[in-house]
Parts: sequence; C-alpha cells; structure tokens
Amino acid sequence: MNKKEAMERLTAIFRDVFDDDEIVLTETTSAKDIEDWDSLEHINLIAAVEKAFKMRFTMKEVSGMKNVGEMADIVCERAKK
Amino acid sequence: MVFSSLLFLYGFLPLCLLCYAACQKIWTRNAVLIVFSLLFYAWGEPTRIKYLLLSALVNYLCGLLIGKTGKEPLRKLALTVSLIFNLGMIVVFKYSGFLIENINAIFGAHIPDPGIVQMIGISFYTFQVMSYVIDVYWEKVEAQVNPFWFLLYVALFPQLIAGPIVRYSTISKEITERTTTLSDLSKGLTRFVIGLAKKVILADQLFRVVDTFLGDNISGLSVLGTWYGIILYSMYIYFDFSGYSDMAIGLGLIFGFHFDENFDHPYLCKDITEFWQRWHISLGSFFRDYLLPVPVFGIRNKYLSLGLVWLCTGIWHGASWNYILWGVYYGAFILLETKIGKKKMRKIPLVLRHIYNKLVIIIGFGIFYFEDVKQLGLFFRNLTFFNPNGFFSVAEQISLYNNLYLILAAILCTFPLLKLPKLIEEKAPVMRAPLAVAGTVVCAVLLVVSSILLVDSTTKAFLYWRF
Repeated sequence: MNKKEAMERLTAIFRDVFDDDEIVLTETTSAKDIEDWDSLEHINLIAAVEKAFKMRFTMKEVSGMKNVGEMADIVCERAKK
Repeated sequence: MVFSSLLFLYGFLPLCLLCYAACQKIWTRNAVLIVFSLLFYAWGEPTRIKYLLLSALVNYLCGLLIGKTGKEPLRKLALTVSLIFNLGMIVVFKYSGFLIENINAIFGAHIPDPGIVQMIGISFYTFQVMSYVIDVYWEKVEAQVNPFWFLLYVALFPQLIAGPIVRYSTISKEITERTTTLSDLSKGLTRFVIGLAKKVILADQLFRVVDTFLGDNISGLSVLGTWYGIILYSMYIYFDFSGYSDMAIGLGLIFGFHFDENFDHPYLCKDITEFWQRWHISLGSFFRDYLLPVPVFGIRNKYLSLGLVWLCTGIWHGASWNYILWGVYYGAFILLETKIGKKKMRKIPLVLRHIYNKLVIIIGFGIFYFEDVKQLGLFFRNLTFFNPNGFFSVAEQISLYNNLYLILAAILCTFPLLKLPKLIEEKAPVMRAPLAVAGTVVCAVLLVVSSILLVDSTTKAFLYWRF
C-alpha cells in the first residue's frame, strides 16, 4: 500500500470516528487541527485504524504519534490489508 | 523539611544558595544540589532514605541496560524489572495496610498489619523514575550514563516530595548545561514568594476555618455551614497544592531548571474535562501518556481506558476508599461530557456550565476530604434539605463576618492576577519601571507577612505530602 492510498483510507476512518464529513487530512494534520481529537478519542481512532488495516500499533506509537503523516507511515509499513 | 518553615526559608535555602553560588563548575554545583537534596529528604525520612537511593540505583541500571543494549528481550526484561520494582515500592510503602485491611475484611483472614507508614514523596518520585525508564524504552530520551546525574534528577529537592512530576526530557539537558540568568533568578524568587504566600497567608488561614467546621464530627452542621466549610476547603486545597508547585517551579528557576507548569487557574474551567487539564497537570499528563495507551484486557476502547485512568487517579491519591470513589466520580462526569460532546457542551449557557462544574468540584472535594465513610454519609446528608440541623446557624454567619477579607482575597487569587502587570505594560510601556518596583515591594511584603505568620504558628505540612 502506498502513502496516498493510506491517507485516503485514513480520511474515511477519521470522518467516521469524528462524525465529520468535512475532514480533509494532510500529512501534517495533528490533534490541534481537529477539535474532537483529544487523548480519549485518540484511543477510539487508534482502535478504528487497527481494525481497518488489520494491524497493531505499539504503545510507544499510540502515545507518541505526532501527526497523520506518521500514522500513515506506520500503516504503510505494517498493514495487512 | 517543609518549604513553608522558618528553618527552610532562613536556614536550609540560604545555605544551599550560598554553597551553590560559591561553586562555578557544573559538577560541583550538581554535587551541592545532590547533598542538599538528600539532606532535605533525610530530614523527614532519616532511615528510609535508603529506599530512595535504592530506587534511583535500580532505575538507573534498568535505564542504562535498556538504552545501551540492542537486544529487545533484554530491554523488555529491564523494563519489566523496573516497573515491578517501582509499583512494588508503591504497594509496600503506600497501600500495604489498606490492602491487608481489605483482604482481612473480605476473606475473614487475620493477616497482621505490618504498620508501614507511608513514605514521603513516594508517589511523586516513583512516577518520575517510571516515566524515565519508559521514555528510554520508547527511545524518547537517551539513558543517563552518570549515576550521580540520575540521582540528581530523582532527588532534586524542589520537586522531590510533592511534585510536579518532572519528566526527564524536561530537564535532561539542564542537568549538565544550565545557567541561572538574572531574569530567571528574579522570576524564580518572585514565584517562590508567591507560592509561599499562597500557602501561609491563604491556605493555612483557610484551613483554620475549615477545621472549625469540618474538623471533628459534622453531625451538627447546618446546610449552609457544610457548604461553607467545603467551599473553603476547595479553595484551601488549591492554594496549598498550587502554592507548593509555585515554590517548586520558583526554586527550580533559581537553580536554572525550567519545570513545566502544574496548575493553570483550574477554577476558571468551563467543564470538568477542562478542570483536569488545568489541575495537577503533571499527573494528568503522566496517565495520558503512559496509562491511556494500555489496552484494557487487550482491548482498545476509550471507555475502558477512561475507567482505568480514573480508577488509578483515585487510587494514586491515597490508600482509602474515598479516594477511589473520588476518582470514579470524576471519571463518571468526564464520561458524561464525552457522551454529550464538545459541540453540545459549548451550546450550554456559560453561567450554567460554571455552576455545574463548580458544584461537581466542590462536592468532589467533600468526597476527597472525608476518609471516614460515616462522616462522608453525613456530609451528603448535610448538603441537602435532609439535614436536621436547619438551613443555617449563627456559627457560619460569625465566621463569614470574621474571615470576609480572607475569603474575598482567596476568591480573587483564583484568577490570573499575575497576568495583569504584563497586560498593563503592553498597553503602557512607560509603566514598566513603576510596575517592577511595585512587584518587588509586593514580594517583600508577602515574604515579611508570611514569615511573621510562620513565627506565630506551628509548621503545617503540605497536604499533597501525603500522596
């Protein structure tokens, strides 16, 4: 899977989790840019991404992810589907 | 040793500053800080200081092994050893009595209570070293090679016994490369005196009133008397704990360390979620970074994570059921706010939101205050019209009259008053010099008044020393 494809799929997941169809993701999008993306919603987001891509993030990644670009990189590297 | 004691203010601190200033090289300055920090801790824990040193040694070695070996099984082993050791320390020195009491009660066992008194500062320094080892494991920071510099991070007396829970990454560079600028020195001294005043002029005086109302049996308190007592307690706990944090941050600055803020005017919050972003920030961020990502029972679910974090927040505060209830209570309100959603929360009129969150916070501190279940039950009864003692009595009327200035000053000081001089300066730069003089005079007055009050009273420990 390439990064562009990962970003597209992540966009759909973000829209679903945050219930907002207007979300447009870029690689630099971070929790600061999406109002509802707080530490608690982050857990739900991670769960949704893991389910969609059939992969697991490590605790370090869950705690330390800086932006969507980093998330897409991990997904590209590890996604099984 | 208590920051707000004459011994610390006019003995320990000046002597430490003198020795520190007399040294020029960083390693001698660090040596001074290590010696004084250990002396500071030994003052309260003369025999159990060995456990602090043991904790520093174990976590230093684990951190070093994790940082220096490339073998994942070894890294994992060292992390596991460190976590078991640290959590074991907390269980033994904080919760053993509580655990045995409950095991005996549930299973009808007769395990004798070892009578271990809680070790000062254990919850704070143990959380610090855990954050360090995890950060090394996560490769967020490099392991500290020098054991003495690691000991300095663990034992640094400004933050050793009641926080803030300082992350290693915050001060790692400053351990070996720091200078105290004149501006830092001035800011640090000011901050320290403000913290001292918060503790001695506000918190200790508020507690005197709180103690008359909530100190003994509260069965005879009126509705208004109960509310009065617990509202003052809510203010007391803020000034006591944030005062300590101010003093810690100020002392840090004096020695060239820049700690993160621990409080951000929590009573200005608009909801409970925001309250916890402003109250004891270093604890909240610890749980956010290290506990929230843990999958509960292997499942990633925000509600399970929320439950775990708030259960632990409650337990962290003390070995008693009321603290657990207090944590769960806050978890429930945060769950409620999550369910309502930020957008809908914002649509609620601001006045209602303030009334809602202040009520939750004040009643919450009631749960926090009463360790005795019977008294807690009476507290809930007394707050309502089920109170058989009437709506108000002359006691709170007299107390309010006698302490009106104290209470008004306390309410005023929950607002960000310190931002005022900066605002004035921005609008009228000409005011810079008069404001600087006024600031110095105010600080001097606060120091003198605090000292006079300290001469006249027995030293009162900070509440958060217990945690």
